[in-house]
Amino acid sequence: MEVSDAVERISGRMEAKGIAVDRSKIESKIRRLVEEFGVQLAEAERTVWNEMAREHSLPSPGARAQEREIQGLTAGEWVTVQGKVVALTSPPTPAIAQAGILADPTGAIRFTVWARAKAQSLSAGTWYRIESAVVDEFRGVEKLNIHSGTVITEVENEAPLIPKIIPIRELRPGVGSVRVKVVQEWEPSHERMLQTGLLGDETGTIKFTIWRDDGKEKLTPGKVYSVYYALVDEFNGRLQLNLTSAMYLPEEGDIRVSEGEASRGVIVHLAPGSGLIKRCPVEGCNRVLSRQNYCPVHEIQKTFRYDLRIKGVLDDGIRTRNILVQKDLVEALSGMKLEEAVALAESSPLGMDEVFYRIRDAVLGRYFQVRGSEMDGRILVKECQRIAFDPADLAALLNRAGGEAK
Amino acid sequence: MMNGRKAQGPRPGQTFDREPARRVFAGELREVRLQFREGEDEKSPSFVLLPTGARCNRIFLVGTLTEKDRRGDQNVFYHARISDPTGTFFLMAGSYQPEAMQQIARIDPPAFVAVIGKPNLFESQTGSLLVSVRAESVTAVDREIRDLWVLDAARATLDRIDGMGTTEDSKRAQDQYHTDPAVYRKMVYDALAQLKI
Repeated sequence: MEVSDAVERISGRMEAKGIAVDRSKIESKIRRLVEEFGVQLAEAERTVWNEMAREHSLPSPGARAQEREIQGLTAGEWVTVQGKVVALTSPPTPAIAQAGILADPTGAIRFTVWARAKAQSLSAGTWYRIESAVVDEFRGVEKLNIHSGTVITEVENEAPLIPKIIPIRELRPGVGSVRVKVVQEWEPSHERMLQTGLLGDETGTIKFTIWRDDGKEKLTPGKVYSVYYALVDEFNGRLQLNLTSAMYLPEEGDIRVSEGEASRGVIVHLAPGSGLIKRCPVEGCNRVLSRQNYCPVHEIQKTFRYDLRIKGVLDDGIRTRNILVQKDLVEALSGMKLEEAVALAESSPLGMDEVFYRIRDAVLGRYFQVRGSEMDGRILVKECQRIAFDPADLAALLNRAGGEAK
Repeated sequence: MMNGRKAQGPRPGQTFDREPARRVFAGELREVRLQFREGEDEKSPSFVLLPTGARCNRIFLVGTLTEKDRRGDQNVFYHARISDPTGTFFLMAGSYQPEAMQQIARIDPPAFVAVIGKPNLFESQTGSLLVSVRAESVTAVDREIRDLWVLDAARATLDRIDGMGTTEDSKRAQDQYHTDPAVYRKMVYDALAQLKI
């Protein structure tokens, strides 16, 4: 969204009401709010519009007839909006007649039609003007409530509605549209669950869930999709996407999914459980076996699967971070393939400890930059590089140290 | 004595945080004269206070192992000297640090080594205070890692100098050491000047 668009919108709406406006004055007002006061553009537009509406004694928002944009609605307001029902979801209780998502070109909001409202039934894909609805907040999400005093009128609107795609990092609880790649598919934890996993874009990753529903299809791992009007929920401080009522269309192309923030530091510790390990062979278990081949769940195992990993501590001198590095990267860092590690453990008198010592001597005390997602205070490393000496750093530090001493 | 603890100490009720390994040149560590314990518990961590104003429980250093000396019969332990561009670190590894001891045993001087260890202040037989480093781990590394460490230690020292007077620990360090920042700035400059561009 550009300042000039906002100026055009305000001017257009003013002129439509027969009021002449000075575009440069509107622009300077908006710019002042945005540039000097750091107000978001949408909020600045709203503020300037309200100010001018008061000036020309136009009915202020909340009063009859003034339609509001869906973006920027806040809890506690009585509003009139015009929007398209883009999704209907199954109501969680009989007290609610209908629930779903209402969208206009600026955004989308969840709505609830209370059974007591005895309102007309809304149908998906139709535009409505909804007068005197109440915005409230439920679990941190703004919601439009349609009650007995709300007047609903169907309106004709053939204009195509293009949802605004936003980066994953900017999602907030409510409704969101994203362009994403299916990064991982996980085992569903519930029989009503059709699919769950991880979606990602250039800015981050987010968990998604699709519940079983008529005509719902699964996403294909590795493919890119545009997802329109998914529900964004917060759970245990984390956002997740519910795609059950959303529209998702496969797209061409690929997305380079963000691997998380880079952390730099020295590996200062290798925890026990690093090096060559044995994993439980039971389908879907994969737990690490103790030296006696004991799995905490499936008890003593006769067979097992070898694996390599590093559980370590990365330290930048200010803070320490736990890291977990999987086989492929351990092989690259230590220069030892899994088969070589197994052969070494089987021939060395120290057994698997010998592999631990080899890996320790290869990585401990070295500088690395790692990237990965963080889970339970541990970085699951996806990318790991040795940091190389850069003469530019030396020159910069010499300047910094010499700046005052010389 | 113990009132400067708000700044960086572990907070009660928090999960255990590993103490970071500070980057410090030998020339600064040598000047340390204050060691204190955080809290009453015998397991609570012990810190030395650096002249540039940070507490440290653990340090990371890279330098040249120049000498190693195996002592004791029943209780074997190693003494080693490790030099950096500003001076010498005195390293100790005894039977409580079996891993570090075995590592030192296998490295022949001279060699570049990376050391993670804990600094300790002790009084020598002649009554002077000395700082030694009790090694947790010693690995052989190459010159590039040493050069990276010099940059790292230089950056950390300059950061501490720039932060002097802004934290409880640095105010305490000024009371204790009357640190002249220019001395440490020059030490950093001289250390960096020894690296080849």
